[in-house]
Amino acid sequence: MLTVSVYRYHPELDEKPYMQDFQVDTGGKDLMVLDVLNLLKVQDSGLAYRRSCREGVCGSDGMNINGTNGLACITPLSACVKNNKLILRPLPALPVIRDLVIDMDQFYKQYEKVKPFLLNDTPAPAIERLQSPEEREKLDGLYECILCACCSTACPSFWWNPDKFIGPSGLLQAYRFLADSRDTATEERLADLDDPFSVFRCHGIMNCVTVCPKGLNPTKAIGHIRNMLLTRAT
Amino acid sequence: MSDKRPVNLDLGTFKHPLISMISIGHRISGVILFVGLVFLFCLFDTSLEGPAEFASAQALLQEDFLSQFIVWGLLSSLGFHFSAGMKHLVMDLGHGEELETANNAAKFVVGLTLVLAVLAGVWVW
Ligand code: SF4
Ligand code: SF4
Ligand code: FES
Repeated sequence: MLTVSVYRYHPELDEKPYMQDFQVDTGGKDLMVLDVLNLLKVQDSGLAYRRSCREGVCGSDGMNINGTNGLACITPLSACVKNNKLILRPLPALPVIRDLVIDMDQFYKQYEKVKPFLLNDTPAPAIERLQSPEEREKLDGLYECILCACCSTACPSFWWNPDKFIGPSGLLQAYRFLADSRDTATEERLADLDDPFSVFRCHGIMNCVTVCPKGLNPTKAIGHIRNMLLTRAT
Repeated sequence: MSDKRPVNLDLGTFKHPLISMISIGHRISGVILFVGLVFLFCLFDTSLEGPAEFASAQALLQEDFLSQFIVWGLLSSLGFHFSAGMKHLVMDLGHGEELETANNAAKFVVGLTLVLAVLAGVWVW
């Protein structure tokens, strides 16, 4: 029997959130955290959490698992459970709608700010805009982000300034387009980021790198942006 | 309803990786150093007032455990602040942005701080 302690909050019934303990029979198997949640759902059908792909692709089930942000569907119990106890809380710092479901609005707003799409004012070629393999390679480690918000909600700088600091996820995407050889808006993009908060609130704490379930490195991308901003200023 | 939404920001329930502890520690030690300077300046001020005061300030540093402890604490904070600061500088230059190197650097900072703290202890007592 595994003890699972879950953060519960029902906006119409509860004044305040509380932790509720469940006992779950895992059958001695090394289940994924999401499997355990599904077992909990059998015990209490009112439990709310997001999930979709169940294989680490959609990014909907980011949550705080035994103190560390991660995707429930690809986190095996063996990687997180201590003393036979699993503690599930919603991602930090964003408002809780219900149980493990958070309001990602603020996170998406920051994403929107970086204009996460290709900007190119030259006439479109007949077939496609070509890139050399080397140019394409620059996007590796950037384009794989699934916007799960594990990183930004683990970032102390984002906790304190969620409205002004773009956060690791948004900045990783900002760099993804800054680094794209087909994008011609580099200068405008940099100008948009050039203020004390958007980029420079990052203090290299690296919580983002520690938690990213896709193994990406926002800190490094932020370092590149910072260098571009500094080069531009001189 | 929405303005009542709770937020999970219960720091005690999160795991804090060593790297992030060093980063926050760097700031805390900075504050400690700043406050500590006040103490040192008071002491310095006293010692400048005359030979008798100088002697008493000296005695304080040589015999009073509490002041010695404060001085040691300040020196250790300085050691930590210095090593963590160096790490930040190196990182700003674009090195050690991989998780593994950063983790090793964090351990190195802790190690260096311990060594510096011991040295400071030897020097004070
Ligand atoms: S490295 Fe920067 S973005 Fe990543 S967690 Fe730290 S402060 Fe946040
Ligand atoms: S960088 Fe990683 S942790 Fe952050 S949103 Fe993208 S996939 Fe999730
Ligand atoms: S359910 Fe899609 S990432 Fe976990």
